[in-house]
Amino acid sequence: MTFAALAGWQAWALIAGAVTVAVALFLIRLKPPRTVVPSLLLWRRVLDNPRELTLWERIRRAVSLVLTALIALLLAFAVARPARVAAPSDGSSPRMLIVIDSSWSMQARTSSGERRWDRAVAEARRLLSSAPGGEVAVGTTADGLVEGPTTDTALLEGALDGIVPAGSDATAWPHLAGAVVHFITDGATPRITAPGVVVHSVFEAAPNVAITALHVRPSLTGDRAADAYLEIANYATVPQSVQVTLARGAGVIFDRPLEVGPSGILRQVVPLSRGGDAVLRARIAAPANALDIDDEAVAWIERATPLSITVIGGETSWLRAAFERDPEVRARFIEPAAYAGPPTSRGTEEDLLIFDGWAPPERPDRPALLFAPPPSTEWLSEGTVDGGRPVVPQEERRPRWDVPGAHRVVQGVDPFTLVIDRARAYSAAGLVPVAQSLRGTPLVYVSEAPGARLVLVTFGTHESNLAGAPGFPVLLANALDWLARPAGDNRTTGLVTLPGEVVTLKDPAGNPIPIVHVGNSTTGILRVPGIHVAEGAGPRRMIAVNAGEPGVSNLTWSSLQASEHARTVPPGGSSRPWWIYCALAAFALALVEWWTWQRRITV
Amino acid sequence: MTPLRFDDRFLKKLEYLHVVSKRAFAGHNRADRLTPTRGRGLEFADHRPYTPGDDFRHIDWNAYKRLNRLLLRLFDEERDLPIYLMLDVSRSMAEPAKFDMARQLAAALCYIGLVHLDKLTILPFGAGLGRETAAGRGRGRIFRVFEELERLEAGGDTDLRASFREFASRPRQAGLTVVISDFLDRDGFDAGLKILRTLEHDVFAVHVTSLNDRDPGALGEVRFVDAETGELREVEVTPRLAAAYVRAWEAHAEHLQHFCGRYDVGYVRADAERPFEEIVLKAFRQGRFVA
Repeated sequence: MTFAALAGWQAWALIAGAVTVAVALFLIRLKPPRTVVPSLLLWRRVLDNPRELTLWERIRRAVSLVLTALIALLLAFAVARPARVAAPSDGSSPRMLIVIDSSWSMQARTSSGERRWDRAVAEARRLLSSAPGGEVAVGTTADGLVEGPTTDTALLEGALDGIVPAGSDATAWPHLAGAVVHFITDGATPRITAPGVVVHSVFEAAPNVAITALHVRPSLTGDRAADAYLEIANYATVPQSVQVTLARGAGVIFDRPLEVGPSGILRQVVPLSRGGDAVLRARIAAPANALDIDDEAVAWIERATPLSITVIGGETSWLRAAFERDPEVRARFIEPAAYAGPPTSRGTEEDLLIFDGWAPPERPDRPALLFAPPPSTEWLSEGTVDGGRPVVPQEERRPRWDVPGAHRVVQGVDPFTLVIDRARAYSAAGLVPVAQSLRGTPLVYVSEAPGARLVLVTFGTHESNLAGAPGFPVLLANALDWLARPAGDNRTTGLVTLPGEVVTLKDPAGNPIPIVHVGNSTTGILRVPGIHVAEGAGPRRMIAVNAGEPGVSNLTWSSLQASEHARTVPPGGSSRPWWIYCALAAFALALVEWWTWQRRITV
Repeated sequence: MTPLRFDDRFLKKLEYLHVVSKRAFAGHNRADRLTPTRGRGLEFADHRPYTPGDDFRHIDWNAYKRLNRLLLRLFDEERDLPIYLMLDVSRSMAEPAKFDMARQLAAALCYIGLVHLDKLTILPFGAGLGRETAAGRGRGRIFRVFEELERLEAGGDTDLRASFREFASRPRQAGLTVVISDFLDRDGFDAGLKILRTLEHDVFAVHVTSLNDRDPGALGEVRFVDAETGELREVEVTPRLAAAYVRAWEAHAEHLQHFCGRYDVGYVRADAERPFEEIVLKAFRQGRFVA
C-alpha cells in the first residue's frame, strides 16, 4: 500500500498515532470520579445479574471505544489517502492506457443523479485497481496524456481527481506504445477507434433541452441593429415548457416560456434594436434537462451601438457630409481649440477620434484617424529628433498610388481614383506604412499600439481629391471598422483556426490562450464557452463560443448504441475518491456517537 | 474519629438497662445475675432435707420447729454473664459515621455490662480475630473500655467465617455474643453466624449500616473502589441500575434478618444516620436485647 499524501512511514505513524490518541482520549474522558464504597459485593451482584444489565449496557463501552478508534482511523486514512501499490513490472505485465472522453456530453446527469463523467472516472478507478501490475497511463480526449505511464496508483488517482470535462478534440487522443487501451466514453462524439481498443460505455439516454444555435445576423431593415436567431431543441420524448431568457448586458429583451414538442426544435428570430450591450446572452430552463452547459449561449452583435466619433479640425464639412447619413455613426465636430486632451482625462466616451489637418500635442489613448497632421507634431516625429530639433518630414509632390495595399484598412480602395498633390512621411515609432507611393513615400500608416490603434493618412483634402474620390468611403469605412468596430464570430469549443493576422487570443476571463501559427492561419483550443477576443492586424474579433450543438446536446443518441463491443459501465459508481467517503463516514460516526452520548445510549 | 464520651444523663439511663440473655449462663464470679445452679446467692430458691455434712448455717430452724424435720435452705447462685462483644474493624466499616456508631454501641453495651458486673470481652475482628480485651468488672472500668475502643482502627478485609472460627477455636464460657458489623462479607455471613450458633452461645447481631451502603448516590459514570480489596469497577449508574442496587441491598438486609430469625439470633439494625441514643434506648429494647 502506498499513500498519496504522505510518505509510507509518515502515514503509518499518523494512523497509529491517531488511533492511540483517540483511544487515550476516550479512556481519559471516561475516567470518572473515584468513589470508595464499603464493598463491591452488592454492585457485583447487580452488575453480574443479566436481568439488571441489558446486552447493550454490557457492550456499549466497548462499542464506543471501537467507534472512537474507527473515527480516528478513518480520518487518518482520509488524510493519508492510501492507494494500492501495483507489483513492479517485470515486463510481462501489459501496459494500460485509460482514456476518458472529455466531451461536454459527459457532463450529462444520469437517472441515478451522477454524471456520465462521474461514472467514467469511477470506471477508470476500477480499471486502475484491477490493473495487472504493469504501467498505467491516464489521458483524456481534450488534454491528451495526463499522467503516466507509472505504477504509482497514487499519482494516477491524483490525476483522476484533477481532470474535468473540457470539450474534446480528436487531435488530443493520447498514445502509449504497447498499451492496452481502455476508452471510456458515452459515444456522443463518434470516433473511429483503433482495433483492440476496449470501449467502455457510460451512455445512458437522458432528456435534455439545449440551445443549439444563437447567431446574430445583420438586419435587412435599417431601423434595427440586427436579428438574433435562436434555436432550441428538445431532446426528450415529452413536450416541455422551456423558459427562454434573452438578454443584452443587464437588459432582458425576451423572457417567456415556450412549448417545445418531443424531439422538436424551436426556432425564434428576435429583432435587436440599436443601442445597448453588444453581448447577447440566451438562457433556458426546463424540467427535464440533463446537461447544463448547453443551457446558455452567447453571441456578439456587430455594430450594436452607433460609433461615437469626435472630429477635430478647422474645416471638416467634407467629413460631416460623409457621416450625417450614416445611422451607425454619431459624430461630433469641434475646433482644435476645443479639444481638451486625451478622452479619458476629459471623461468622455468616444469610440474614435478623427483629426483633420491637426494633431494633439499628446498621442490620443483612443483609436484615432488622422488626416495630414502637421509635420511639426512632436509625437509624430519623435523618432527623428536630432539635437533637440525635430527633423522636417520629407514630402513628395504628386505622388502616385498605384499598388493597392493588403492591409484591412486599404483593402478595396481604388488608388487610381485618387489624385494627390502632396504627401508627407512621418517617422513616429510604431507607425507601419500600409500604402506607399511609387517612390516609396508612405500614404497610409497604421499603428498597432494595444488599446489605441491609429490610422494616419499622409495627405488631406486640400492636397488631394480625397473628399470626392470613390475610394474615400471605402477607406473611411475600412478605417472605422479596423479601429473601433470588432467583428463577430461564432464557434464551438475545441480546436479553432483563425486568420494568421491574429496574434493574441484571450478566453472570457481575459487569460491568454496558447496559439500556434501554422502557415497563413492561427490555431488555438477554445475550452470554455463565452466571448473570446482575438486581436491582430485585422479588426478585433469577438468569438462567441458555445457548447450546444446536436452532437453534444442530443443525449438520447450514442454512436455506441450500434456497437456490440462496448462494455456498459453500470451506474452507481462514484467518481469521488474514496478518501472523501472516509472523511464523510468519520463525520457521520462522530455525529452518531455524539448524539447517542447525549442520550446516554453510548458512553 | 469522634471521642467516646457519654453524658451523665445518658449514663444514668444506661444504668437502668441490662443486657438480656435468652438463656441463663453461669459465670465464674459472683454478680447479680441468677444462674441455674444453687449457691450462695441472696435469692431463696428451695428447701431440701438435711444430709450430714451440710452447712449448719443453712438449716431452716423455723421449719424444724413447725415440721420437726431438718430442712436446708437453698439459694440461687448469682453469677456474672460472659458477654463477648465482637466488633467489625474491617475497611468496610471505615466510614466515620458507621465506625463511630459501631464503637459507641459497643461502649454502651460495655457500660451496661460493667454496671451489672458482667464479664465483658471486646473482640475486634476483620479478616481474623484481633487482640481481645477483657474489660474487667465494675463501672469504673468504662474509661479503659473507651480508650480501648478509641484505639481501634478500621483496616483489612472482612472474613466472618475465619474470625468466628478463630473465636470458636479457644475454650470459652458460654455466654452472650454480640456481633457488631455491616455483614458485608464477600463469602457471605451465613457460615460465620452458624459457627457462633454451634457454640451454644446466645448470639445477637447488630447490623450497622450507613446511607452510602444503602444508596449508590449520584447518577452517572462512577469508578467504585472496594474499600477492602481496592478492586475497581467502572459503572454508569443509571436510574434503573440505582434502583437495582437499592433492591440488592434491601435483599441483603432482609436475608440477614431472615437468617437471624431462623437461627434464633437476635437482630437489630443500627443506621448510622439515626441518633445513637434512640438506637440504644429504643431499638435495642424493641429487639429485646436490653431491658
